[in-house]
Amino acid sequence: MVFTSFNFLVFFPTVLVVYFLLPQKFRWIFLLAASYYFYINIKPVYAVLLAAVTLTTYIFTNLIAKTKSDGKRRAYMVTSVILTLLPLFFFKYFNFVNEGIYSLLNLVGLHLQLPHISMLLPVGISFYTFMALGYTIDVYNEEIDAEKNIGVVALFLSFFPVVMSGPIERAGNMFHQFKGKLEFSAEKVVQGLQLMLWGYFMKLALADRLSIYIDAVFKNADQHVGSSLLLATLMQPIRVYGDLGGYSLIAIGCARVMGINVIPNFNRPFFATTMSEFWRRWHISLIKWLTDYVYTPLSFGFRKYGMWGIVISLNLTFIISGAWHGAAFNFLVWGFIQGVALSVEMLTRKSKDAFEARFNLAKKWWYMLFGCAFTYLLFALSLSFGGDAATVPEVLKILGRIVTDPIQMPYKDGDTMLYGFLAFAIVFIKDFMEEFYPGRVLLFNNKNNTVRWLAYYCVLFLIFYLGIFSGEQFVYFQF
Amino acid sequence: MDRALITEKLTTIFRSVFNDQAIVLRDDLTANDVANWDSLSHMLMIGEAEKEFSVKFKLKELGKLEDVKSLIDLLEQKIQSK
Repeated sequence: MVFTSFNFLVFFPTVLVVYFLLPQKFRWIFLLAASYYFYINIKPVYAVLLAAVTLTTYIFTNLIAKTKSDGKRRAYMVTSVILTLLPLFFFKYFNFVNEGIYSLLNLVGLHLQLPHISMLLPVGISFYTFMALGYTIDVYNEEIDAEKNIGVVALFLSFFPVVMSGPIERAGNMFHQFKGKLEFSAEKVVQGLQLMLWGYFMKLALADRLSIYIDAVFKNADQHVGSSLLLATLMQPIRVYGDLGGYSLIAIGCARVMGINVIPNFNRPFFATTMSEFWRRWHISLIKWLTDYVYTPLSFGFRKYGMWGIVISLNLTFIISGAWHGAAFNFLVWGFIQGVALSVEMLTRKSKDAFEARFNLAKKWWYMLFGCAFTYLLFALSLSFGGDAATVPEVLKILGRIVTDPIQMPYKDGDTMLYGFLAFAIVFIKDFMEEFYPGRVLLFNNKNNTVRWLAYYCVLFLIFYLGIFSGEQFVYFQF
Repeated sequence: MDRALITEKLTTIFRSVFNDQAIVLRDDLTANDVANWDSLSHMLMIGEAEKEFSVKFKLKELGKLEDVKSLIDLLEQKIQSK
């Protein structure tokens, strides 16, 4: 069931009514049932996998908590991590690894037929696997107590607003909310619905509109001139922001309506002036997860190598992030570009700080604009490898043509470009005001009822006017 | 080594790693208060502190550091138990 489907428009209000009619102590149980119904609706057999990961996590976290010996605790943690990762590896990386082995064997003249899985990746597996791993490691590090109630663990891993594409939540943030008072709060209902409304706008009016142009160009890259390829490449970050950013707002909004606070996922990423700042604003829950459970242990292990230890850890972390996004070399290249960019920033930080201080650049608008534009371009370039254009040679061919093709008018799709630009301008102005003039222009939060309702109706109208209602999937479902 | 000396040596490390000669350590100072104190430079500071005070941290201990006070407490404890 997708957030933009008619089914969800029936499912969510029904869940809300029953949820708030039930006595408080039964609400989390109902949420668990609703979450499993939501997930089973996609494909029933995948719910078995989700339940198996839940059971593994529950058993091992409790074993870790009960055990005194450091060695045994570690063994339980490692076993749990391996068992939790097994389904993800099987569904996501089996074919990729097999194809690698097949190519290697081919090189040495052995032509073996290796098995190939033709099953779809279970939706959300990358997300709930990371949530389960995070919880297990937190229990091992004694940062959180093991939960005795398996129902609470099951709800944490299956919670329907976040199960399909995050934000990647933490047990420390969710358990106490599920077990606490899930009260009706008019304020939270309003906040949640506002987030959802804006999320739908970002998804339907911005992401899905731009998708038309991007798909038309990249799916027939050979038929398009370099300027069209460049335009589509430059649109990609905005499209993904609209897609995952919009999804995240809908997810956070759904949870907020039910009185549950979910961590944010984006913070006006296109106003970042460096890549390191960008990664503190883009897909925050994933980056925070990778920082805590991958980068920190790696950099701790490599700390005796000083700055170079950081560089190694950074690159490994982002290569793992690339692999998490997809089982293909182009995603590894995407991760590697991020790692290299961040490493260069890290290695040149002192001289950059000195340069900025010498010419008093840090607060100059044109210098910030240059930083934003450079960061955006770098990310757009890297996203070519993490986007729709499949293989590395194909991406390189596209990038090559962007540089070498003579300058011509790009492919024109009047309505798409006009409506897409309008939607982007609205999102950009909103983000700009919140970034540089917070609280100056209030629409959704205006005390005047007329202004507030006018803003709601305007956004609703714009969703219908600019939006695409063809049941487009969210980009991150494939991960 | 007393707390004042630990703070003094740690101040030198902070100023060098976070590239800010104006940093003054206080108990409630956190990463939010120092411009260059992020997850990348944090481990550099930890590595420098280990070298300076000839101690070894455990990964688990680092996760519990909330501010400068908790770092100095941990260093004091490790130096005393050497």
